Amino acid sequence: MTRIVAISAGLSDPSTTRMLADRLVESAQQQSGDVSVEVVSLRELAHEITDATLTGFAPPRLQDAIDKVVAADGLIAVTPIFKASYPGLFKSFIDVLEADSLIGKPVLLAATGGTARHSLAIDHALRPLFAYLQALVVPTGVFASPHDWGTDGTNALGQRIDRAAGELVSLLKGAGTGRAPSDDIDLFSDTFLSISRPSVP
Amino acid sequence: MTSMQFGLFTVGDVTPDPVNKTIQTEHERIKNTITIAKKAEEIGLDVFATGEHHNPPFVPSSPTTTLAYIAAQTEKLILSTSTTLITTNDPVKLAEDYATLQHLADGRMDLMLGRGNTAPVYPWFGYDGSKAVELTIEHYQLLRRLWDEEVVDWEGQFRTPLQGFTATPRPLDGVPPFVWHGSIRTPEVAELAAFYGDGYFANNIFWPKEHYIRLINFYRQRYQHYGHGEPEQAIVGLGGQFFIRKNSQDAINEFRPYFDNAPVYGHGPSLEDFTAQTPLTVGSPQEFVEKTLAFADYFGDYQRQLFLVDHAGLPIKIVLEQLDLLGEVLPTLRAEFDARRPANVPDAPTHAARVAARNAATEAAVETDSSLLEPVERTSV
Repeated sequence: MTRIVAISAGLSDPSTTRMLADRLVESAQQQSGDVSVEVVSLRELAHEITDATLTGFAPPRLQDAIDKVVAADGLIAVTPIFKASYPGLFKSFIDVLEADSLIGKPVLLAATGGTARHSLAIDHALRPLFAYLQALVVPTGVFASPHDWGTDGTNALGQRIDRAAGELVSLLKGAGTGRAPSDDIDLFSDTFLSISRPSVP
Repeated sequence: MTSMQFGLFTVGDVTPDPVNKTIQTEHERIKNTITIAKKAEEIGLDVFATGEHHNPPFVPSSPTTTLAYIAAQTEKLILSTSTTLITTNDPVKLAEDYATLQHLADGRMDLMLGRGNTAPVYPWFGYDGSKAVELTIEHYQLLRRLWDEEVVDWEGQFRTPLQGFTATPRPLDGVPPFVWHGSIRTPEVAELAAFYGDGYFANNIFWPKEHYIRLINFYRQRYQHYGHGEPEQAIVGLGGQFFIRKNSQDAINEFRPYFDNAPVYGHGPSLEDFTAQTPLTVGSPQEFVEKTLAFADYFGDYQRQLFLVDHAGLPIKIVLEQLDLLGEVLPTLRAEFDARRPANVPDAPTHAARVAARNAATEAAVETDSSLLEPVERTSV
């Protein structure tokens, strides 16, 4: 069973960000029979995320969400775009993850915005963030502006959703990067060896 | 002789009192630190440890000056640090300062080494903060040799070389101060403590216990790996913090404004959440005793328990009241920890015990030598 976790940073309820997350989840499930999906809604964790930012540790509910994200085989990250980028809540959640949490993890990036003029925010804001985290981001990003939810005769959004979800599912069937975060302590690093061999400069 | 040592550790911060809208002067804060240390001895605590900082709003930049002053006014109290910056202090000066303190205090001292947590301290002292772990290792290896060897030839990465150097004064009775290594994130520090058979201290104040368990267990395993004893015989120290009143609700009401405005966790989680999630107790003396005793369940039986009491802008009057209340439950804490302690867990280190152990080891070595000589004597007769 492949485990996908969707992170939704939508702030209102109902939210188009959550709607987009649900559509992506649904498409991923349709394209891969053997997949379990769980949605982590950051709005419900907003206070805990602030607390963790101040104290340096995650309260239980947030820790539970972090554990799910870190243990997931793949992620669907969906955020609204405010003022040309992701909102602080989304970034704060990423900030409370340990530095190597998302190394090598397949990630689908998606975003919603109040205007189509935000549509490149996935590429100029989200992709660099996930590149820093060394995640494996699928080629298609899914941006939805208000008119995408209308009925203009084409189903461009639906097609992008299926294409991106298909890319994620396809990546999850492959071997990925073979990299993953490790809690192991490397006893044979140069620094470690210098402790038990004090005479060696 | 006590199997487990209890004491105080202070950060030495000058924090505004959010209730009385007052702030101590540096002079008052330094003098109050002395008052608190003397009170620690009065209520029967074993240890007083001071932090080391080189930036406002902290006052303790010169720990051995403060500790020597306290040593002169106390009889039994062990003076220690929490922590001494092994990264940015010159190991030669550390060897000299702490050996001097050891003589002045007649052995009633040890020290806890740490990396510090203020990034600009490194450049202020001419070091590169990205080399913190390497500095810790090299500086400690040199400090060790300066105390253990009479004449030292040394060359390293970070300090000017030494040729034919003897650190003075030599350690009291030829036994250097006991060293604790304080760390909450860095496995290399746990490894360093384990390799030398030194103590390991986790501050155990700001985070849930799970964050500390991993490194303490690692230290215990590596202590065994290096042949110092079983994992449960490694020397572990822990921090803790509390605010207690006879009536639990009084403690909560009185401490809440200090908690809500505290520099570390203020304006974040609620007092209730934080006490549920971290080792902090705010409540009755009985609740405090129960939570503290549980530390040994999580971390194993250990040797030293230090509490942070003078923080968050609490006025000296309240700090002293807290210490009176701590003094009342201290016999219970001692008795309960002793009752659960297996016989093979070593006592907390003291200078007297370490001198006795060194003497016993020397005698044993002499006996081994003479037994080897016996057959030679027989053949010569």
